[in-house]
Amino acid sequence: MIDLFNPIVVLLVIAGLYMAWNIGANDLANAMGTSVGSGALSIKQVILVAGVFEFVGAVFFGKKVTSTIAKGIVPIDSIKLLDPNLVAVGMLAAILAAGFWITFATFYNLPVSTTHSIVGSVLGFGLVSAYQGIIAYGDINWVVLAKIVGSWLVSPILGAVLAYIIFTIIRLTLLQKTDNPYNIEKKFVILQIGTACFIAFAHGSNDVANAVGPLYAGLNALGLADLTIPIWVLMVGGVGMVIGLATWGYRVIETIGTKITELTPTRGFSAELATASVVVLHSYSSLPISTTHTLVGSVIGVGLAGGLAAVDLSVIGKIAMSWIITVPIAAVTSALIFLALRGVGL
Amino acid sequence: MKREYIRSVLNVFARSPFKPLYLHASKGVETVRKLDQAVNAYCTNMPLVEELSHEIDNIEHEADIIKQTIRGQLSSSIMLPVNAEDLLNFLKPQDSIADVAQEAAYMLTLRQCDMPEGIKDQICQLSAETLKTVEIYETLVDSLSELLETSFSKRDVDEALSLVPQIEEMEHITDLIEKDLIKDIYAHEKELGAVGVFYLIELVRTIADIADKTEHAADRLRTMIIRR
Repeated sequence: MIDLFNPIVVLLVIAGLYMAWNIGANDLANAMGTSVGSGALSIKQVILVAGVFEFVGAVFFGKKVTSTIAKGIVPIDSIKLLDPNLVAVGMLAAILAAGFWITFATFYNLPVSTTHSIVGSVLGFGLVSAYQGIIAYGDINWVVLAKIVGSWLVSPILGAVLAYIIFTIIRLTLLQKTDNPYNIEKKFVILQIGTACFIAFAHGSNDVANAVGPLYAGLNALGLADLTIPIWVLMVGGVGMVIGLATWGYRVIETIGTKITELTPTRGFSAELATASVVVLHSYSSLPISTTHTLVGSVIGVGLAGGLAAVDLSVIGKIAMSWIITVPIAAVTSALIFLALRGVGL
Repeated sequence: MKREYIRSVLNVFARSPFKPLYLHASKGVETVRKLDQAVNAYCTNMPLVEELSHEIDNIEHEADIIKQTIRGQLSSSIMLPVNAEDLLNFLKPQDSIADVAQEAAYMLTLRQCDMPEGIKDQICQLSAETLKTVEIYETLVDSLSELLETSFSKRDVDEALSLVPQIEEMEHITDLIEKDLIKDIYAHEKELGAVGVFYLIELVRTIADIADKTEHAADRLRTMIIRR
């Protein structure tokens, strides 16, 4: 355990916390903003609910996706046999690259996903290892990578389909049968508290991996973590995300909440239930996806079911664009940082 | 643009055009209400007519700005629960309501009152029926918000659409008054003189045109709701 004070470990933990902070500040806030927008919860309540359920989701349901990010794409086990330090430095490079790109994207308000960034930067480490002859290109798990990229395409569509179905059921069985739709909306406020908890849990279970996946891989290579992910690693992610939400995310929630007053409780409920279900399904299947992009898909699904006054579809193009640029940029940055870190003797 | 450290894709929510649509309709109704006051003040209180005409100019300008905002926001990437083209097709005749009311009010400021009492009474009646027509129309546009809330339940659609025949009926009533009036005006052609006849016929036709435009807008609104 003396190695815990190894500078690489300290840097990995700090970088992991920074990623977690970013995820909490923006992605979690995006997911929770819909509950504030429809007036179901106040901002304080949302932060409390999100904090608790995000943490629970991350700590108790975050292992599968974390493991995919850590060892599913790049064969860290065969690299660590050569030199454990290579894995630790590579993972530090990956998390720094993803952190830089996310910071840049957030600053310019680009709809970039932390998930795509971390997957791209871990891949970058794999590619640079192969380039240097440490592993073969064929050792990179392309099948898993293809599954992950495929899930990025499927998850928003699945969100849209599910939200369409949920809202259509509500519309046909409740909204169109009532004399007073506003009463139905009032009842859905309570249900929406449930979906707000569910979406926070789902988000925690999938997105914690973006912060702690590389951290775990590094610790594992250095012999500081065995085959099962230590709970404290997941807690680092959970705590980081909750701090991100509490110190910055509330501003994001405020901004979103005032922007989306159109989202009444029935609509918010439909979009949140669809998003959370799709995300939990992917967490269960060990696939890292973007909660925010799934949420956008779900909102469009509610719109397609005639539930929203106006939906701007130009977002789809922006998201597609962010997919295409994020993976290569994160991969190249990660590879360059890896080479630089090796260059200074780490 | 202010650079906040915010990364959100929730600009998927576009601004709803339906609230400004209702606001635009109510501006139109406001111009007709003021026009009705102006018609009643004509002959007795010309300074008031001038003032009302001026107020209508301002309201019509406000309505124009709302119309331009709605059009500006409806880029091709915006998905609405109705056909965007149908929405624009109904916005156009709705906008003419204020335009025509403005024209009628302006005409009232052009010439001193010179007509028999009977004709004046009939013009007041025409104006009153026109106001009723646009008021029903305002209720119709207002029902859009309820329709959106239940996302077009059949009952609400039927309820809203039942207002359209009422508007058509009112338009028919104003047509009949208009025809009678024009006959009456010609019957008094000797005492009115050529310019007097021309002026009054123009005035009556313009006022009656408001109900035509309202009916047209209601018809387009029905198309929009049915075709969605």
